[in-house]
Amino acid sequence: MNTEKAVNKLQDVLNLDRSITKLMPLNEAEITISKQQILLAVKTILKSGIWHLSAITCQQLENDFILLYHFWKSGGLTLRIKLVEKNPQIDSICSLIPGAEFYEREAREMFGIEFLGLPNPIPLLLPDDWQGGYPMREKKQLSHEEPKVKTRQQKGKTS
Amino acid sequence: MSKITVPIGPQHPLLKEPLSFLVSLEGEKVTDSTLRLGYVHRGIEKLAEQRTYIQNVYLIERICGICSHVHSTTYCQSVEALLKLEVPKRGLYIRMLLCELERIHSHLLWLGVLAKNIGLNTLFMYAWRDREIVLDIMEEISGGRVSHAVNIIGGVRVDLNEKHLSLLQKSLQELTMRVEEILRSIENDRSFRARTRNIGHLSLEDIRRYCVVGPVARASGLDIDIRRDAPYAAYDELDFEVPLMTEGDVWARSILRILETIQAIRLCTQIIRSLPDGPVSVSARRRVPAGEVVSRAEAPRGEVFYYVRSDGSQNPARLKVRTPTLTTLITLPGQLKNMQLADVSAVIAGVDLCIACGDR
Repeated sequence: MNTEKAVNKLQDVLNLDRSITKLMPLNEAEITISKQQILLAVKTILKSGIWHLSAITCQQLENDFILLYHFWKSGGLTLRIKLVEKNPQIDSICSLIPGAEFYEREAREMFGIEFLGLPNPIPLLLPDDWQGGYPMREKKQLSHEEPKVKTRQQKGKTS
Repeated sequence: MSKITVPIGPQHPLLKEPLSFLVSLEGEKVTDSTLRLGYVHRGIEKLAEQRTYIQNVYLIERICGICSHVHSTTYCQSVEALLKLEVPKRGLYIRMLLCELERIHSHLLWLGVLAKNIGLNTLFMYAWRDREIVLDIMEEISGGRVSHAVNIIGGVRVDLNEKHLSLLQKSLQELTMRVEEILRSIENDRSFRARTRNIGHLSLEDIRRYCVVGPVARASGLDIDIRRDAPYAAYDELDFEVPLMTEGDVWARSILRILETIQAIRLCTQIIRSLPDGPVSVSARRRVPAGEVVSRAEAPRGEVFYYVRSDGSQNPARLKVRTPTLTTLITLPGQLKNMQLADVSAVIAGVDLCIACGDR
């Protein structure tokens, strides 16, 4: 099976402890790596014949950010990376997988993760003049306040 | 030659949903294009964190107005995996039936949109006339034409009776004839070929680099289908083929989608023939044990991806949705390059965009 091979190869290349692989339900393997290993890990995965990146999930656990890179080929393989800094940064994988651009851009605008080397670092979903911070970060409950975007009329008045 | 920039969207007759393209032209030739999403961004991932698992079934269905059922199927699948629930076979079969009916409806809708965009209005009328057959079936089964609200956590809320089955049998027979006739008429049609052949070409290598899924990937020769490669529901018990083409242009995508529609009709016939007896759902607890799960399903446009993390409460702690449109959108600027402006309509329609899915 392809995923198992890739998991073994990753553990060899990155000198990872064999015990840290856990299986999630629905045939999904998961490996925790450090953020410095991301490019090497993705290269290894691509070399072992898995080239499909399903998605990048970003989430916040208290003060840490977790990035999950979900690869797939018959079975799933997820890379888990924990970012502990105040201004989280990580290398962009767009040079290896150009299809990751939208996922990285979304994580950037929703959580404020800086992807170093992201080819097109402009907002994907939020308005260009969005001033409401990072909407998916914790402790930002939705409210019915006015959106923090200038309307056309307001723009006309200021200029 | 003078350079001009033509805005296509956010509101444009070519687009059925808001999306903004800025197409730079040199004469009639496209030299560059940029795209901008977010005009129907509703923050569904954030909203889902503030609703219970049960409320989310109905929220998730509102992500898309065409493939609403496959979204709720994928979501329910992931919550059921966290709850370690086993859905009764009959429930799974009804889920699959709706998934396949939705695929037929989505592909026929798309065919109509493409036909309209390339000026073949008769084909548009025929495709949408035949789509009504599927919508009528779905209305009879679920009460809704596009939002079915059939899935619940633990199974489905509707059961099929004799009346449904006889309607299905009769309608599917008629639909097979009509779709085969559409295939016969466009396969060798000169005007259709002239507007779609060698337009919006994507090579197999590009498909892999951009992680494209679904019919667009299969039309370029990439053999990928979640139903066959990682069967969910009860797809492993059904017998079906995954059509594959290698041309990689709008023509191949059209023929492939019609072939897929024929396969979907075959699947529906199989499902109603081998529909197991028994209950359609089991009851589920409201609190979901802590854990994480990844779930995938094959929507009409390709792989839908869900990630759910539970912290043991009534609401999910994180819900991530990746829709197939995001993977095809990123290839559009490359496909448009060096095309004639008149072909932009065929390229945009050819990849079957669902912007509401992409924006969430």
